[in-house]
Amino acid sequence: MVSARSRFDRRKFLSSGPTDLGPPMTVLFGTLGWRPQSLLPSIRSSENLERVVFYHSDHAKSREARAKVMEFCRSLGVAVSAVEVSDAFDLLHVAGQIRADVRKERAAGSDLRFNIAGGTRLMSSAALLVCILEGIPATYVHDETYQEIPLPLLRISYGAGLTPKQRDVLSFLVHNRDKDFTETALAKALGVHKATMNHHVRELEAKGAVARLSDPTDARRLIVKPAPGMELLLG
Amino acid sequence: MAHRTLIATMGFDERHVLPSLRLLPYDRLVLVAGRETVRSAGFRRLRALEPALRTVRVDPFDLMGSMESIRETIRSAAKDGSVRISASGGTKILTNAAILAAFQEGVEAWYCDPDPVRLPVLQGVVLDAVFSPAERGIARALHGPMTHDRLVSGVASQGFARRTVLGALQSLVGKGLVEIGRDGGSVWVRPSPRFALFRDHLRRVPKKG
Repeated sequence: MVSARSRFDRRKFLSSGPTDLGPPMTVLFGTLGWRPQSLLPSIRSSENLERVVFYHSDHAKSREARAKVMEFCRSLGVAVSAVEVSDAFDLLHVAGQIRADVRKERAAGSDLRFNIAGGTRLMSSAALLVCILEGIPATYVHDETYQEIPLPLLRISYGAGLTPKQRDVLSFLVHNRDKDFTETALAKALGVHKATMNHHVRELEAKGAVARLSDPTDARRLIVKPAPGMELLLG
Repeated sequence: MAHRTLIATMGFDERHVLPSLRLLPYDRLVLVAGRETVRSAGFRRLRALEPALRTVRVDPFDLMGSMESIRETIRSAAKDGSVRISASGGTKILTNAAILAAFQEGVEAWYCDPDPVRLPVLQGVVLDAVFSPAERGIARALHGPMTHDRLVSGVASQGFARRTVLGALQSLVGKGLVEIGRDGGSVWVRPSPRFALFRDHLRRVPKKG
């Protein structure tokens, strides 16, 4: 008798999409430091690998590692792009840059993976932020065993934690960060009743996405301001 | 009385922690650090400044273990008041563990190296709340590959409408936790390799309110 487990063929379970199109091609993103070994296990383990995009610093040892990874990819016949990232930028700037690249590949219909093991702390943390916000499966590679370890990330957009209306309000505030809006002015600008706006603002405040601050020129007025970093949440 | 707890990751150099101590007001300070860090001169200097600080020891090269320790620390501190995370000290792995824990537990997080950057965490939005009761029902029933029909009828017998179970199943597929495929004339469902990482979240019953 054949058990259910032994009858199981993993290849038939790789895609939840239409079967006649076949599984989508994979684009592997990665961060690279001085050791190519932190990225190579993910290149070896990716199925249907179409392309590798990795970020590295301008340090000489990182450039040496880049050359080795590029050579490895070429020997496998896999397209590869290396992006040099300077630590002169801040975390959100680097995350924004990586996110733009990720979205471009996703729009092309590719399956995405991210290895965040290598690179500087800034680069790796920026990559992790992008994976959390975009819901990209991510792994890191153990420093000594070089074993790939998957991170507990779901394939859902983190921004889904906001309702569409909350998103609209936050988006408006972020785009008009330099201006001051009271709840009443916000309600007028977005064409909703002020009681409705009060509800949205309270919900956003509870989530730490906005703050209500006293107007320095008129203590009776409360100005609604988006919290720092919310640009990245909205993408 | 509610306390403000600051949980900060730390390596050998306390200067990565000091900006967050200046920027983020706190009543209680918890340092998450490796064994070697706790023996370091930087840690002793910091303890001289903050004699009441609490230490959570972790293996700073074990991302998952560090993340679980930080999550436990957050949950424990959240019972007494607000919690903030500073993720700029320690190894890269420890920083990433703190970032993951902050997003999973929905607590304010900062990265100060050297300028303060607030991470876009939605406070109170916890990972456990992402799963519906029907998704939890599926997780309880799914221990290995099962036929689609058997799984759906099994979960439906827990009191869920069949349509709800089918919707929950598709939602778990979308989240990357379950895979559906055809084999030997039957439709089969099985947990994805990632499913095990979320088993605890799926089994936990979220608090109301």
